[in-house]
Amino acid sequence: MQEKLILENKIERGDFARGGETSSNLKELLRKLGIPSDKNRRITIVAYELEMNIIIHSYGGEIKVYISSEQIKVVAADSGPGIEDLEKALQPGFSTADDEIRDMGFGAGMGLNNIQHYSDDVEIETGPGQPTKITAIVNL
Amino acid sequence: MKRHSVLLKEELCEGCTNCVKNCPTRAIRVHHGKATIKGELCIDCAECIRTCAYHAKYSKTDSFADLEDYAYPIVLIPPSFYSQFRKISPLEIRNYMFKLGFREVLDVALAAEALSIKTARFLEKNPGVFISSSCPVVVRLVRLLYPELTEHLLPFKPPVDVMAEKARRDAIARGISPEEIGIFFITPCPAKYTNIFSPVGFEKSDVDKAISVDKAYQAILELRRETNPVESEPIDEQNGLPYLGMGWGQSGGELRIMPESMQERSLSVSGIHRVKALLDEISRNNIKGIKYFELAACNYGCVGGVFNVVNPFQARFNLRRLQVRGHRPVKQDYSQYNYELPGKFEALRIGQLDSDLEKAMAKFMQLEKEIELLPGLDCAACGAPDCKTLAEDIVNGLASRSDCIFLLRKQVGELADKMSALAHELPPVMKKEKKDR
Repeated sequence: MQEKLILENKIERGDFARGGETSSNLKELLRKLGIPSDKNRRITIVAYELEMNIIIHSYGGEIKVYISSEQIKVVAADSGPGIEDLEKALQPGFSTADDEIRDMGFGAGMGLNNIQHYSDDVEIETGPGQPTKITAIVNL
Repeated sequence: MKRHSVLLKEELCEGCTNCVKNCPTRAIRVHHGKATIKGELCIDCAECIRTCAYHAKYSKTDSFADLEDYAYPIVLIPPSFYSQFRKISPLEIRNYMFKLGFREVLDVALAAEALSIKTARFLEKNPGVFISSSCPVVVRLVRLLYPELTEHLLPFKPPVDVMAEKARRDAIARGISPEEIGIFFITPCPAKYTNIFSPVGFEKSDVDKAISVDKAYQAILELRRETNPVESEPIDEQNGLPYLGMGWGQSGGELRIMPESMQERSLSVSGIHRVKALLDEISRNNIKGIKYFELAACNYGCVGGVFNVVNPFQARFNLRRLQVRGHRPVKQDYSQYNYELPGKFEALRIGQLDSDLEKAMAKFMQLEKEIELLPGLDCAACGAPDCKTLAEDIVNGLASRSDCIFLLRKQVGELADKMSALAHELPPVMKKEKKDR
């Protein structure tokens, strides 16, 4: 089956009230499509991390999910401000989140690591002052 | 084959959609003015029985007359049953059970206590997060809506089955022939009744019959009227009553038996909608630092069971009082029980649009279109709980667009406009002036 767009959600900066909505919808949708539950869980966790990253760290952005016979692909694109030092950001425990966000239970510095851990393939395009685009794939 | 124990008294159903809207698995639809439950989605949580203002939903259990089928009936009392009485002690209740014809009266609390200790040891040894499997509704909910969490369910039998297996084994060892033995359970909820004829995780339950708490309550009150009612103290140190395990009858009781080191890494949550909200968070990996979840579908745990007579607040108080008095686990040999689940909790794959991904995708596109057409008011007047579910029913050929009163009204309006336009069209033989005259 050719790749098809199955979900498209705009996400605003700081919109914690709707945090988790995209990943919840995605989980329900993949269940309807008959995706095995272990794959579903992995992609849901990845989508949740990406969703929260946009809410916490970016100026706002969008998540798109595509499906084909081979894979599920989540593309999270924001409008900046970009990741200053990607190598550092990928170190477990590193976070630029402030105390307020940490108090809410986020910003533990595991987001990108979690995304890498649960995906089969991750591609990160970013730079200081640039938009960030993360593409995460779980193979079917 | 019978799979569920929640039933409908058709003559009482008014066709309102209270149960439809409150069902946690969206298993109910109202069609032709009557509620119907989709068997494959029902988890026997009894929310519909609770919600129904017309008392049309009910559950049928066995009765005391069934004792006659067995020469050696044994009764298992769940901890929550004692919560129904404020002035009748556990010891007295046990005596009434003998009078009702049971040859043995056993407390599930003892197996529950042992299971808590076993669980704590299991959790120490096994990495990862676990969810208690003693509430059959929680197990059914996880398999159905959270199949990805099925592997986190604790691989043990519920306390009542642990107790039943031991009771049967012991009776046979004492020379009682197997066909004479009948194991009865006083059940606080339909789900525990369902588990007798349709268990999850094992082939056959050792429990033969279940009598609902309200029936047992009534029987005890009647016996008490006949005999001379004496107020008794709810404590009997000599017989070891009450037990710490009685706390299992309410949410949090299981954890209280565990070592503090495990208690501080555990959380108990009760009430089906809260349990669902928690499972959502666990599923998206948004719960940190918790090793064990003690979950119960009813508010406050089994004291909130739908068969109970006393309100859950009073019941919670009554049981707490007993649990405070029984501070220590009973000295017993924990190896006398078989806890291990003989089978496995299998994840279910229900609710997919099609088994073929391509066909499912085509249906999904259609589903999106239907959702777009519907008003999104979730009024449930169509008999489905919300617009999205109606859309799914339409795509699956189980409902039609005109089931939606808003779409129907729109269609009628369009039709009326067409009719009106048609009415003003002139037959070709008529002259235009004639109409204006």
